[in-house]
Amino acid sequence: MVPLLVAAGVILFLGGVALLRWAWLGQRPANLPFVFAGWLAVTAACWVFSRVFGVEVGIAYALIVLALTAYLIIFLGREVRSPKAQKVRDVALEPEDRATSWTRAISKALLSIVLAGVAAIGVGVAFAVAMPLSSHDRIVIGGLLVPALWGCGMAWTLADSKLLRATMVLGSISLASYGIAFLPKVLP
Amino acid sequence: MQQRVDTKPNKRKWLSRDFVRAMLAGHSALGLAFAALIYVVCLTGTVCVFLHELQRWEQPAGPIIARALTPDDIGAAVNAAYAQARADDAAHDMFIMGPGPAMQRLFVSYHDHDTGREGEWLANADGRLVARASAPWSEFLGSLHMNLHLPRTWGLFIVGLTGVALLASLISGLLSHPRIFKDAFYLRWGGSRRLQEADLHNRLGVWGLPFHVAVSLTGALLGLSTLIVGVLALAAFDGDSEAAFSAILGPRAGAEETAAPAPDVAAMMRHVLASKPDAQFSSLRIDHVGEAGQVVHLGMRTPGHLAMGNTYYFKGDGTPIGDGGLEEGGVGQQILGALQPVHFGWFGGYPIKLAYGILGLGLTVVTFTGVTIWLARRRDRGRPAPRWEKIWAAVGWGQPLGLAVSAIAALYAGEAMILGTYLATSAAALAAALAMPDARTVTLALRGLSAAAMITVSICHLVLWHGVSTDVMAIVVNAVVGMIGVLLAAPVFRRLLQGSKPEPATACEAS
Repeated sequence: MVPLLVAAGVILFLGGVALLRWAWLGQRPANLPFVFAGWLAVTAACWVFSRVFGVEVGIAYALIVLALTAYLIIFLGREVRSPKAQKVRDVALEPEDRATSWTRAISKALLSIVLAGVAAIGVGVAFAVAMPLSSHDRIVIGGLLVPALWGCGMAWTLADSKLLRATMVLGSISLASYGIAFLPKVLP
Repeated sequence: MQQRVDTKPNKRKWLSRDFVRAMLAGHSALGLAFAALIYVVCLTGTVCVFLHELQRWEQPAGPIIARALTPDDIGAAVNAAYAQARADDAAHDMFIMGPGPAMQRLFVSYHDHDTGREGEWLANADGRLVARASAPWSEFLGSLHMNLHLPRTWGLFIVGLTGVALLASLISGLLSHPRIFKDAFYLRWGGSRRLQEADLHNRLGVWGLPFHVAVSLTGALLGLSTLIVGVLALAAFDGDSEAAFSAILGPRAGAEETAAPAPDVAAMMRHVLASKPDAQFSSLRIDHVGEAGQVVHLGMRTPGHLAMGNTYYFKGDGTPIGDGGLEEGGVGQQILGALQPVHFGWFGGYPIKLAYGILGLGLTVVTFTGVTIWLARRRDRGRPAPRWEKIWAAVGWGQPLGLAVSAIAALYAGEAMILGTYLATSAAALAAALAMPDARTVTLALRGLSAAAMITVSICHLVLWHGVSTDVMAIVVNAVVGMIGVLLAAPVFRRLLQGSKPEPATACEAS
């Protein structure tokens, strides 16, 4: 029974993603019912996987199969072009041109790696110390927050051309978070 | 990530043009700064998914466990391991890793951190120690992925930071691609190489996003855990990192050093089985074995969970002292249990491992094409960087070559030569690349050499283990490695047969 249900789930994924791909490239609003049907098939496939393997493992399997199905459908539906073809709309948007120097590059690196990291660890530790949750939930979720926030901070500081703004924001977050984390220990 | 200009006027965009260009600039800077590190970590991580299969390949005469282990089997393994540890004067901490979805062997190890003595064994299904475990190349690979062979604390931190950079790249890539949903199924193949690689980069990146976020987040947390727990310890545990880790990972051994009998692990397993009859052994850790303060962490796995098992804690005399809740506890406990299996794809047997292999390879390609797109953009704008094109081609194709040559060294020259061979091969690839006329030649040469090295690895292994190997996994790994070698070689032969046909003007030579 399990192999049959898994096969049904995979077929639903294949059908759903193929339908989505077909509808995606069509004209709106005529394609909307097919987009809806595609997502419905994908949702049904996730449901089948979670019924067969349980929600925890089933959803993990479903996300993996969805990614692989999409890769397959995209590869099968690729547009093969001649070497000289390049339409106007294919011209890529260029990154912002910025004047740069060694001091600016080092400042950016310090901001994105050091200060963003200090702020992210501060928020994570403040969460782990102060949130009204069980100790495991506080510590693990606080721990997970660190790389997530550090990544956000890194992406933002490298994109933002105003160094002072990023310094002020990250500095303020660091002060507040370390205050929350360490003040209860310092205060009588 | 790249995107195409929307030429339709008067259409409100959810991200402004300036914001997208700023994000693209940040995405480029981030990618370029960390590209080589991310590439090495992604490539080695992809191979590490199959670490247990590679361990079997390296020791193909070792025992395979084909059935669920009983409490008596594990009890016998503990007794045998304790006796051997005492004989080796290394009886302090013991660890047993059992068969499961990720591995089919019973692995036993022990060490004494005071004397530095240690031992690693493979046991059979009856719990008897059969052979000393020896998988030096797998160990080299795991260490390269987890700490880049740097001093452990620094290595873990740098790999963790690489995970953060990958996460930041995913975020900035997503935000610099306003047509992300509109172009979700668009793949242009042929034509401009830059556009082909941009489409490949974006499609692989977008549809693999849940996987990419999961592995980068879990990897970053695993790498940064020492630093995070260190700061947490300062804030809440009076600077005691051990106490902080203990709050998360369960009780540590007490200070009582008086002699005590080794714990009756079979009885402990039966205690767990009384309430969880479908549970199976997954792992065991005994801290300070044979001392009054000893503590046992018994891992037992039940179906339907991502965690490799829940951990049940016992005192040395068999008194239960709680469990980690890794399967059915709070959110934090379940996340903790899922971190490692989700990062390495060790929760669902071979189908999931294969899927992780494909998705990991996809992430490696995303990293590689990110830099080739940047180089191609420079070339298109009349500012080519031929030296960097050659270097990046050497980084990309020098890694499979370095790994394959180091595997040959492991087979013939032993453990001591592996790291040196890998570093020397990678450095030689870079040096040779700089002496070559262009990136296309570098790619062809290193790709061809990688293919030859991989096929050589398979042949060498077959010759060395002929008539001795008893494990079918050795045949499978040799076949897969040889096949990858042939697949890598095919385009090289095709290009050589075609001769030096010029590439389109917009092509990225380093791809």
